[in-house]
Amino acid sequence: MSNHLPAGGNGGGGRAGDSGLRYPSNGKTIYHRPLNRTKTAELSKAAFAYLFAEMVSYAQRRVTGIQELEKRLNLQGHPIGLKLLDLLLFREPPRSQLRPLNIIALLHFIKINVWTHLFGRQADRLEKSSNPDTPDEFMIIDNEPLVNAYISVPKEMSQLNCAAFAAGIIEGVCDGAGFPARVTAHTVGDTAGEGGEMWPGRTVFLVKFQPEVLEREALIGAKS
Amino acid sequence: MRPPQCETVFSLVIINKAGGLIYNRTFHEGGLNKISTNDYLVLAGTFHGVHAITARLNPVKSTPERPLSNSVPGVPGGILTRPEPPSGLEVLESENFRLQCFNTLTGVKFLLFTDTTQTNVDVIIRRIYELYSDYVMKNPFYQLEMPIRCDMFDRKLLSHIREVNNR
Amino acid sequence: MSYYFAIIGTQDNPLFEYDFGTSKQGGDGMARFTEQARQLNQFIIHSSLDIVEEVQWTNGQMYLKLIDRFFTSYISCFLTASNIKFLLLHQPPSTSSSSSALPHPSSSGSSSTSTLVQSSHHPPTSASTSSLSVIPSLSTLTGGSNSSTPTLIGGGGTSSRTSTSIAANPTSPQTEEAIRNFFAEVYENYVKAIMSPFYKTNMEIRSPVFRARVAAAGRKYL
Repeated sequence: MSNHLPAGGNGGGGRAGDSGLRYPSNGKTIYHRPLNRTKTAELSKAAFAYLFAEMVSYAQRRVTGIQELEKRLNLQGHPIGLKLLDLLLFREPPRSQLRPLNIIALLHFIKINVWTHLFGRQADRLEKSSNPDTPDEFMIIDNEPLVNAYISVPKEMSQLNCAAFAAGIIEGVCDGAGFPARVTAHTVGDTAGEGGEMWPGRTVFLVKFQPEVLEREALIGAKS
Repeated sequence: MRPPQCETVFSLVIINKAGGLIYNRTFHEGGLNKISTNDYLVLAGTFHGVHAITARLNPVKSTPERPLSNSVPGVPGGILTRPEPPSGLEVLESENFRLQCFNTLTGVKFLLFTDTTQTNVDVIIRRIYELYSDYVMKNPFYQLEMPIRCDMFDRKLLSHIREVNNR
Repeated sequence: MSYYFAIIGTQDNPLFEYDFGTSKQGGDGMARFTEQARQLNQFIIHSSLDIVEEVQWTNGQMYLKLIDRFFTSYISCFLTASNIKFLLLHQPPSTSSSSSALPHPSSSGSSSTSTLVQSSHHPPTSASTSSLSVIPSLSTLTGGSNSSTPTLIGGGGTSSRTSTSIAANPTSPQTEEAIRNFFAEVYENYVKAIMSPFYKTNMEIRSPVFRARVAAAGRKYL
């Protein structure tokens, strides 16, 4: 993340403009566009699929391994998450316009608001790691991730899950909200229960929070 | 053999624009005799050549039709300036099976082997084309003109054909 | 009333700053900070970041209201979901060097102006002899913010108190509401700014359109 400092220090005096900035010919900038106009707009799934296919091929260039490829996809999603966090909270009605203060609130925000905005439905399940050694791990489960809708991963890359992109978005939301985390996507085919291969593309997004997040969570919990 | 009134889709072959075999799948055992992969490759290449020649045999529609059809309201004007491309071989029928060819605008050919009584073949083949453009062309790991190895395409194709064959 | 508004990024780095004055009651919208105060404002804002960090995990609201005070400078805060802080320093007009030491500058300011109103109705000879304490406050009023004097004389009584509430009383609900509206409008424009595909988190906001929009929000509400 770049850490720019303002060039001219003197309050409202120094104008940053006039530096080769160009305006659209109709004079309408991004500031003239209402933020809620595209709230219910829908996007062509095919257009996204083609774009995403190109994004994956782009990320695949000169990578040494699957981990690096996933890392690149993750990085492509990260800034989207950071921006979505502010946009989606802005679109909330004022009464529920609350910053998420604990892990559960944050994960609910992701499961409901972020998912509905991105994929048109909520995520399928939210789980906490049952292993007592890893209380910092949470799972968001999507039975059929939209990003993988048309993707068949070749056998020699079987560990790859292109939903690493969506994992990057989640990571961006978590980081932005002040809950630094590592998010990874894993394909978990249906095994036990629910007869056979009902959801062959089921993906688990593993959210692993940094230790300081849990520390703070404990402190806040103790106070209230 | 199966009773003649039972409609069945036997198998599908996809040929790329250079005449190479890129996909081959049998849906119903016993409908056709098994031939080796090599024979399938030959079949693909041969069909491609025959198709190309039959396309040349097909006369291009003559120009005087144009002003006449221009007055037809449903047809947009811009397309009429170019003659319909020659279509070439479309159906090949034998006593036991029927071969329908669907040629896409990019030159990919879908050959569907069916029972002679099979109806609505063009609908089935269009649906296969749709599956191809979804699960093959939108897959970032598919390289153009190369053999198709996409789990998702296989899965969707099989379930589609199973539905057709059980109707 | 003078304002200093700053947007602070997640690394406590400034992204945007703007100072302006009130446009209510005929104000000209110019900040009346002394050169020294101008420098000081940045430090005051920066020091209140600590308090933001204390408050931010106990209150999920974005608008954290008045969070800090440094003599006559009051700091209001708005915290976005992605941890970007909007800080507004507002300073009531009665800023002479002596008044900053007083415990309640707002109440003392209003009492001194009311004596001014009465004295201005008297003939000039009696005004000059009435009391010595009026003279320095008269000079600060004309020098500091000439905006408040005409309304005080014209309105008088109760109406003068409500009309000057934003300027004179930084803790009143009216001020709180005005600042809330100001922040809400800046927030909307901030979200638009970050929607730009060329904007990355913690980048300085240099858009002149954004600056104009903040200025417009300041004129509208403060």
